[in-house]
Amino acid sequence: MDFAPNEDQIALNSALEKLASKFTSPPTDFRQFNLYSEELDQQLELGGFFDAAEIPELGPVSAAMMTEQLARLPYAVESALSMLIKPQLKGDWPRPYAVVDNGRPSRFAKQAKTLIIIEKEQVGIAAAPSEAVESVDSLFAYPMGKVSQKLEYTPLPKTEANKIRVWMRIALAAEAAGLLQAALNAATEHLSIRKQFGRPLGSFQAVQHRMAECTVLAKGVRLLALKAAWSEDAGDAALAALHAQESATRVVYDLHQFMGAMGMTLEFPLHLWTYRLKALLSELNGRGGQAQAVATHCFA
Amino acid sequence: MEFNWTQQQQEFRATVREFLEKNLPENWESIAHGPGSATQSEFSKQFCGQLAEAGLLVPHWPQAWGGRDADAWSAFILAEEMWAAGEPRGGQYMNVNWIGPTLMRFGSKEQQQRYIPPMAKGETIWCQGFSEPEAGSDLASLRTRAEKSGSDYIINGQKIWTSYAGDADTCFLLARTGSGKKAISIFLVPMETPGITVVEIPSLIGEGDIHEVFFENAKVPASAMLGEEGEAWDIVRKALSLERVGIPRFALASRILHRAVAQLKVQCRFHLGAIEQSARAHAACEAARLFSYEIIDQRQKGIIAGAEASVARVATVNAERAVAEFVVEHLPETLSGGDPLLLAHHQRGIVAGIASGAAEIQLNLIATQLIQLPREPR
Repeated sequence: MDFAPNEDQIALNSALEKLASKFTSPPTDFRQFNLYSEELDQQLELGGFFDAAEIPELGPVSAAMMTEQLARLPYAVESALSMLIKPQLKGDWPRPYAVVDNGRPSRFAKQAKTLIIIEKEQVGIAAAPSEAVESVDSLFAYPMGKVSQKLEYTPLPKTEANKIRVWMRIALAAEAAGLLQAALNAATEHLSIRKQFGRPLGSFQAVQHRMAECTVLAKGVRLLALKAAWSEDAGDAALAALHAQESATRVVYDLHQFMGAMGMTLEFPLHLWTYRLKALLSELNGRGGQAQAVATHCFA
Repeated sequence: MEFNWTQQQQEFRATVREFLEKNLPENWESIAHGPGSATQSEFSKQFCGQLAEAGLLVPHWPQAWGGRDADAWSAFILAEEMWAAGEPRGGQYMNVNWIGPTLMRFGSKEQQQRYIPPMAKGETIWCQGFSEPEAGSDLASLRTRAEKSGSDYIINGQKIWTSYAGDADTCFLLARTGSGKKAISIFLVPMETPGITVVEIPSLIGEGDIHEVFFENAKVPASAMLGEEGEAWDIVRKALSLERVGIPRFALASRILHRAVAQLKVQCRFHLGAIEQSARAHAACEAARLFSYEIIDQRQKGIIAGAEASVARVATVNAERAVAEFVVEHLPETLSGGDPLLLAHHQRGIVAGIASGAAEIQLNLIATQLIQLPREPR
C-alpha cells in the first residue's frame, strides 16, 4: 500500500501541469455556458498523454490521475474515455470518444471520431460520421451533441461490454473527482475574500462545516476512483461512480448556495465545474444504476 | 501509487484471523455487549494474555517493551481484525494504541517499569480521565484541580462519560495545576486511591461503558505526574493524533453491512430501497477505509498527519452512521432482540462522532487547516 505517486507518475503529472498552465483561467470576459478547447486537445495529443495508460510503468492509475487533473481546468476536453477506455478496446478506434446512451444527447458527441453506443443492455461501438451528429445547446458546460440518424454499430460481446462499463464508471469517477475539487477551490477563494457582516463568509462555522463535509466527499471520490483504476474491479468501479454521483448532488448545491447571487451568474465560472457534474449525474443510469452494480458485484 | 498488501501483511492478517477463530468462544457474539461490559472486561484479561503469549498484543511496540518493532501497518491490520470481531481486547485497545506508546515517550523510568509490563502482558485496564461536566470539546476549561501539598498532589473534581472506569486499574487523568488556560498536567492515578468514587451512567451504548468519576481529596505522589507540570496539552495532542484513526470502525461497519445484506437476501427483503441504501453505505465504508490507509501510509513513512487525519475520522463517522441507519431501517428487529453483533454495532455506532474529539471539531480543523478558510473570530 503506497498512496504517494511513483517517480514516473510525478514526472507525468508535472509535464501535464506545465502543458495545462496556460489553460487554468477562462478567457477575460467569459460569459458562456460552455468552454471547450481544441488547442488543449491537440497539445495533449501531440504530447502523447492519451497513450500514457498503455505504458506499463504508468498504467491506468496514472490515466485516472491525469483525468482528475484535467477535469480541474475550466476548459473541457475529452480525456477520460480516451485515457481509460481506449486501452481496453480491441481494434484501433480513433479518439475523441463519446458515449451515446439510448439516443440521448451526449458529451463530446460532435467532436468524437468514435461512439460507444449503449442501447438497453447492449454496448456497441461505431465510427462517428460528423454529419450524423448535431450540436445541441445545453446548460451542461460540455459541448453536447445528439446523433440525428440511425447508426450502424458493432455490438460488443457481453464480457467486453461489461469490461467497458467498468471503465466507464472509473472514468466518470476520476473526472468527477477533478470537477469536485476545482469547484471547491473556486468557492474557497470566494469565501475567503467576500465579506458580509464585517468578516469573510468562510469564517462562519455554518459555512465551514459544510465546506469541510464537501471536502471529505470530494477526496473520497478521488481515492475510490484511483483504487478502482488500480484494481480494475467491477465492484470498486461501481462504488467509485456511486460515491461520485452521490457527492456531486450534495456539493453542487452547497457551492452555489455559498456563492449567493454571484453563483447564478455566468461571470463567475463555478458552473463550468458544477454543471459538468450535473451532466455526470445521470450517466450509466445514475445512482440507481451504480447501486445495482454494487449489489451485483459486492454483495453477491 | 499501489493499493496491494504485501505477502507478509497478508500472512499477518491470516494469523490474526486464525487466532480469533481459535480463541473466541462459540457464544462470543452474544457476550460481546461492548468493550466496557463486565463480561467483556473479564474476558479481555484472559484473551489479551493469550494474545500477548502469541506475540499479537503489542507487536508494534519496541522489543524492550515486549513488542517486536512491527510496523504501523501491522498495528493497523491487528486493530482492524480486532474491531471487526467485536473488540475482544475490551478497553485494553487503548493501552496498545496510545497509552503505552505515550508512557514510553514521556514517562519516567519508574512509571514505565510500573505500568508498561502489565500492559504488554494484557493484565491491566486503563481509563481516560478527560471530559468533565463543563469541559467536553472545550477540554481546556476543565476544573478538576491537583494542588501541590509537600511531595504529593491532592486531587479534587469530577470526570464524566469515562469509558471503562468501573473496571480500570489506572486513570490517565488531566487536572489543572495552575491558573492559566493551559496550566494542565497529566497524572497516572491508581483507581484504588482513597477518595475516588466511580458511578456508572446508564447509557444507550452498552452495559458498563460510561461513568462519572469523583475525586475527593485523592492524594497521589508528585511522581505520579506524567511529563512536566503544564505539559498535558502537548502530550495529549501527540497521543490523540494516534487515536484519531485509532479505531478502524469501518472494519466492523463493513462486516455488519455484509451480514445485514445477507440476512435480507435470505428473507427476500433486499429490495430497491435497501439496494440503494446499502450501496451508499458500502461506498462510505470503503472511502473511510482508504482515508485511514492513507494516514497509516504516512505514519509508516514517518510523516505526522495533520488535518488529513480529521478527514479520515469524519469519513469513518459517515460510514458508521450510514451502516447503522441502513440496519435500523431495513432490519429493525436488530434493536428488538435481533442479531447480537448487529445490535452491539448499532449501540456503539453512536460513539463514533463523539469519542476522541467531536466530529464537529474535526470539521473545524478541516475547514481552517486543510481548506484554509479564514478562522472564526473568538
